[in-house]
Amino acid sequence: MSLTRRDFLAGSAALAAGATVTAPFLLPKYHSDQRRKRSRVAVLDSQRYSQQLDQIVFSGLRLFPIDVRGKTVVLKPNLVDYIPGNAINTHPLLVLAAAESFRRLGAKSVLVAEGPGHQRDTQLVLSQSGNAQALRDERIRFVDLNRDQLIRTPLRASYTGIKDLWLPRTVLEADFLVSMPKIKTHHWSGVTLSLKNMFGVVPGARYGWPKNILHWKGIQESILDLCATVPIHFVIADGIVAMEGNGPLNGTPRPMGKIVLADDPVAADATCARLMGFEPDRIVHIREGSRFLGNSALERLDQVGETVNAPATPFGVVPEFEHLRSF
Amino acid sequence: MPTVATDPIVLSALLAELALRQLPCGGWAALASSSQPAIEPTCYSALVLGSAPVGNIERAQQFLLRTQNPNGSWPVFPEDDKEGGWVTSLAVMALRDLAWAIPARMQGIHWLLSFAGRESNWFWKWKFRTADRHVRFDPDKYGWPWFPDTVSWVVPTAFSILALDQIPCACDGLEHVASRIDCGIQMLFDRACPGGGWNAGNGVVYGTALAPHADDTAIALLALNDRVQHPVVQSGVQYLERVAPTLSAPSSLAWAILALAAHGRPIAPLSNSLAAFPDLSSIEDTSTLALVCLALDQQRALEAFGVAL
Repeated sequence: MSLTRRDFLAGSAALAAGATVTAPFLLPKYHSDQRRKRSRVAVLDSQRYSQQLDQIVFSGLRLFPIDVRGKTVVLKPNLVDYIPGNAINTHPLLVLAAAESFRRLGAKSVLVAEGPGHQRDTQLVLSQSGNAQALRDERIRFVDLNRDQLIRTPLRASYTGIKDLWLPRTVLEADFLVSMPKIKTHHWSGVTLSLKNMFGVVPGARYGWPKNILHWKGIQESILDLCATVPIHFVIADGIVAMEGNGPLNGTPRPMGKIVLADDPVAADATCARLMGFEPDRIVHIREGSRFLGNSALERLDQVGETVNAPATPFGVVPEFEHLRSF
Repeated sequence: MPTVATDPIVLSALLAELALRQLPCGGWAALASSSQPAIEPTCYSALVLGSAPVGNIERAQQFLLRTQNPNGSWPVFPEDDKEGGWVTSLAVMALRDLAWAIPARMQGIHWLLSFAGRESNWFWKWKFRTADRHVRFDPDKYGWPWFPDTVSWVVPTAFSILALDQIPCACDGLEHVASRIDCGIQMLFDRACPGGGWNAGNGVVYGTALAPHADDTAIALLALNDRVQHPVVQSGVQYLERVAPTLSAPSSLAWAILALAAHGRPIAPLSNSLAAFPDLSSIEDTSTLALVCLALDQQRALEAFGVAL
């Protein structure tokens, strides 16, 4: 069969048109592959919140080849709201243990920063959750990310279609950002772990309470765009008492007795998901995040500390997320 | 009127601190450690310094005029995108009583009238009625969002009602003010928490009643100050009276004092508690510092918010 010039041009035009239509669906939505070759995760046993956490966290951090000497370390706990009896917020004793450990490891400064997504009065959440007194006693500076100085920041992924967000200077200028989530189920995103915890860096003063733009643009998509843009250097997840059911506020406390440390937020969240009895790849932002933000596959994880065993009973979830359960 | 005279020494020290934080541009930053001026702290500061002998109120008002967006709205801070947002209602209130600011204020009011929660659109109304029903609310009752293309929330709706309530007449294209205010009020009633009070605007999610917040409740009650007989307002006041003595943060307590004063409730013990908070002058959040000043001078604060005494 001979190909005429006219056939060639028509074919080329058809190919070009096809590529124009399909390219947006085929091209990756992230700017760069941030995954390390291997990631390290440590699961530590700790049955209660006590002063012993200082030593447990410090020993846990020594399992990682991290160097924070001379660096500004920003701890980003999960402080959302306070409801007596509900395990909503990262426990202050774990935050203090982390701060003390990074100081011992030579950090130039350690500060705690958060922008609660439900409660506008940040000082009230700090005070009621016990964090205000704890931070004051240990002379640790707190920055309210809902009201911090803002810098327009282009997003480094395009899952939401948002080009840029105004983000807090404290987080953007941190040398070493530590996401410290409370391990919880979440009625909109399935789970809220180290990646979802980054919603707290989106300033309420600019975007409102709750941070409604992130819901409108898609929660899973927003998590991916944010975490591509604001890299998490380390994770210390509070699973000593976690939350199951109708999280992130009204779920049931679930004693788990674990702290999860990781040098990769996707690895941390995949591990937390397994500890909750969930299949990590069924959680959209973990599955998609494992393509460019970090590692979720067991063969790319170096597991130290305790063995990751699924619980006898998976965490309870709202009906929409029953499919997350691995058994 | 159950206002109380608080220790004038405390108030004057706080006013002096507030004046010290005024930036050369005339505005105030959200945090004492920041140099980025923002509209919210500037509006509260302008409201409290309106007749105080400290600070340069005219420079603050000029700052607000300079930062108005071409469409009549205000940005959250000067470098912000020009689409406008929730602070417009605060700016409109902060420029009250200034003859030379009337055109700017009118532009702001017109923008507020054109600004509505996304559920006011038929498509989203339909979606919330049929497919997206995990949050219980009536999408026919809409108010104001924090910023464009999102749904209505309690605080921006309450501030917008307060701002529009200050308009003296329904002329010159302002004929819809009353109906917008009424729709906003119905929205506030609809979004109340089942046990009384308000949070951001989600009363019931996945069948679970969510807890109210003191500051959101107080701001809603300020906007509903002329609906004292409505059962939702009464249960909101009862919630706030119950929780106010337990509040351990000055911002929520300041809002609670203002709202309870507006509803004729006794506030003297609360004002004393607020004045006794340690290190009030070193509060990092400038909006909170200004709100504390407003709460310690309730009568003038309520006038500034246009609340009838």
